[in-house]
Amino acid sequence: MSNFIDEALQRLPTETPDWLSEQRRRGRSSWKSSTMPTRKTEDWKYTRLRVLEEGAYLGRAERQDSSSPALTALRDQVKIPELDARMLVFVNGFYSPELSSPTAMDAMEVVHFSEADETQVETIRAHLGTAADRDKYMFTALSDSWLDDGVFVHVTQNSKVTTPLHIVWLTVPQREAFSLSQRLLVVMDAGSEATVVEHFASDGAQQNCFTNGVTELVLGANARLCHYRLHLEEEHALHIGGVHARLDRDARLNSFHLGLGSTLKRLDVVVRHEGNGAHCDLNGIYLPRHSQHIDYHTCIEHARPHCTTNEVFRGVISDNARAVFNGRIHIHPDAQKTVAQLSNKNLLTSNRAEVDTKPELEIYADDVKCTHGATVAQLDDYALYYLCSRGIAREHAQVMLSTGFINELINNLQHSTLGEYLKPVLSDMFVQQVTQRERAE
Amino acid sequence: MSEQIDDLIKSHYAAGFVTDIESDTLPPGLNEDVIRFISAKKNEPEWMLEWRLKAYHAWLEMVEPHWAHVSYPDIDFNAMSYFSAPKRDEDRPQSLDEVDPKLRETYDKLGIPLHEQEMLAGVAVDAVFDSVSVGTTFRKKLYEAGVIFCSISEALQDYPELVRQHLGTVVPQKDNYYAALNSAVFSDGSFVYIPKGVKCPMELSTYFRINEAKTGQFERTLIVADEGSEVSYLEGCTAPMRDENQLHAAVVELVALDNAKIKYSTVQNWYPGDEEGKGGIYNFVTKRGLAHTNAHISWTQVETGSAITMKYPSCILKGDNSIGEFYSVALSSNFQQADTGTKMIHLGKNTRSTIISKGIAAGHGSNTYRGLVRMNPGATGARNYTRCDSLLIGDQCGAHTFPYIESKNPTAIIEHEASTSTVSDEQLFLCLQRGISEEKAVSMIVNGFCKEVFRELPMEFAVEAGKLLEVSLEGAVG
Repeated sequence: MSNFIDEALQRLPTETPDWLSEQRRRGRSSWKSSTMPTRKTEDWKYTRLRVLEEGAYLGRAERQDSSSPALTALRDQVKIPELDARMLVFVNGFYSPELSSPTAMDAMEVVHFSEADETQVETIRAHLGTAADRDKYMFTALSDSWLDDGVFVHVTQNSKVTTPLHIVWLTVPQREAFSLSQRLLVVMDAGSEATVVEHFASDGAQQNCFTNGVTELVLGANARLCHYRLHLEEEHALHIGGVHARLDRDARLNSFHLGLGSTLKRLDVVVRHEGNGAHCDLNGIYLPRHSQHIDYHTCIEHARPHCTTNEVFRGVISDNARAVFNGRIHIHPDAQKTVAQLSNKNLLTSNRAEVDTKPELEIYADDVKCTHGATVAQLDDYALYYLCSRGIAREHAQVMLSTGFINELINNLQHSTLGEYLKPVLSDMFVQQVTQRERAE
Repeated sequence: MSEQIDDLIKSHYAAGFVTDIESDTLPPGLNEDVIRFISAKKNEPEWMLEWRLKAYHAWLEMVEPHWAHVSYPDIDFNAMSYFSAPKRDEDRPQSLDEVDPKLRETYDKLGIPLHEQEMLAGVAVDAVFDSVSVGTTFRKKLYEAGVIFCSISEALQDYPELVRQHLGTVVPQKDNYYAALNSAVFSDGSFVYIPKGVKCPMELSTYFRINEAKTGQFERTLIVADEGSEVSYLEGCTAPMRDENQLHAAVVELVALDNAKIKYSTVQNWYPGDEEGKGGIYNFVTKRGLAHTNAHISWTQVETGSAITMKYPSCILKGDNSIGEFYSVALSSNFQQADTGTKMIHLGKNTRSTIISKGIAAGHGSNTYRGLVRMNPGATGARNYTRCDSLLIGDQCGAHTFPYIESKNPTAIIEHEASTSTVSDEQLFLCLQRGISEEKAVSMIVNGFCKEVFRELPMEFAVEAGKLLEVSLEGAVG
């Protein structure tokens, strides 16, 4: 087995702006001092990184020919109709102007780190790395040590951007296994409003890419951000990522996560309430199948009083798949009058599927209301019987119930057009599963 | 108001005193000779000594666990003495009348009058003073029913095969750091055997008391309920006030064979340390039960004492249709830290488990629930329900919940709920405007909060538990 820590260090970034070098140096030293997690590492108790170590994902991403019909078709497939968004498309980490839609918006600056002007550089330097803690999350350290570029989104004070920003990260296989570093920094000035959709997808071919993605969301006072992170990659993609958010006074973050695909997917979602009265809605769905492994670790840090959190995660686990969910709510001393709720429900649809869930509460303030709940079960026999007794085929009834289980979250999306886009994708997946299962039987 | 509350919180540990009896204590330190000494002193069979040594060698290889949500200074295992028995080891009292009057005085101060309990409560008491049993009552009556209830040293003399057959089957020597230590040096404990089809005619009970300064106490309890039998076992403890931290690493093993039922209740009120967090007992206990087909194991605990508690009474539901239960009230005030919970390992079909945990944190206390519910692939139709609530009193304390839920069987159903809250102003106001004093109101609310657990306790304990909570908490809200 190769030593991933050392090998990853050997990969030096290409031409990069000088002002990023300090961050990179810190990332390297932090990554160097980390060790690969074992079963005894609490945060990685249920997730092994063997596939990463064995896979030799150390090749470099190469620029693809964006004008190829295959990529254009793929772009059309991931384009969300009626969302009417400004679309940025990256192929294997490289920005593709041909595939992106050019609409520019005044109130929202979107630039690459390497192309940022002086004031933008200043803002980036002030915020990059403030939300994602490289000493705590080793793959943030890796992202820092590979840091050569990234996307910077800046919404100016009190501006309301109605057109969503749709960032699409496409991956296609290369000759040799390779890794990819994706970095996004969103800075919302006080009183601003915006929507950002992060969308990961790949073509249907066997993937050989390891993506290490770190997104940082910095919300100023009273800012509102609607954030989606959709993982719709194919089977063999490998993704380890983190979404780290900081919320100032009265800021509101609405974050939705969807996890499909990937042999191994691990996502750390961290939200820090740093100003009084901040609110966060964090919802997610994970649907691992075949022999996939999806791991969501969420952590909500309540550092200030009067903040609220509402978190709901649901999962349907089928075939040989395994899902891991860890939902932590940490109430610091003085964070009085906090109201936080967490619910995690899981459906197991196969004898070989497994789920490991751990909702955690860590509370150091007394005047709080915190609850969490977790359930694991299979589809309700009575509900199935009810549908069957009305002439609905058993398989169809299973699809209906599975869909219903997650639709509650899809229907509540702030952008219903997104929900309309996702629904057929998800129900197709359930139908596929049911037919596969039938064939197997 | 707040001054009154402070006074109440600081109310002194009522059971804190030291009985002045010379003890036959081994010099501090742990090595093979110490284990040989303990084994020889107890006249143990050869296999037992080997068993202990095996555990000792395993222990040497192990590292102290640090994953729990507690912090304490490192323990120097060589600064402790591993054997302490009341003097006059050779002529142990044969009946209560022969018990050292000073000992009996201690028990009287604790409110455990052996003779009274004999008559009034009908409870047989195997009282352990430090590490050696000094009096066992009701032996005869139990003997007639075929029940064996004696100290584990005696059992090793009288029923070596029975002990050998079951000892270490539920908690193996290498299970964990403290279980290995216990296996190597355990000094005494209780042994219970209920024969086939027998319902134990009375509740069995042991009172433990740590008395010798700087003495680690290592009890070993083994309860075997043969097919179709039934037993209820009570364990309660208090300890005198000491400034040195004392380590307590007990092991309790329950074996419930087919259709058997074991109910194990604990009230733990060891010295929690003073208001500054100085002193107090370290309570690192391994408790586990193995349930065979249709067996039923129930743990009930009220934990109010100890400076540091790490304790996870667990059930391995091996047989089909077996049932595991865990009811717990854990209170940590002043600088107490408790990391406690349970493990329910579902192996058999249609196994069921219930977990009800109530944590109360006050002062600078830290209270953690840590539990595991695991459904193995064979646990078809298994069911778990978990409810853990925490109550916070004061803004310096902490309450934490870390439940691990692992399911590998789609037909198994797991439900987990947890909540954390404080005694609300509205609740207090409602009581106050009905003329109930604040202290009384808080006591009522806390008792109501714990009611689900208290009603699982045997009568004698329910009274003691309510009283304990009242002493520790009354008026702690302001």
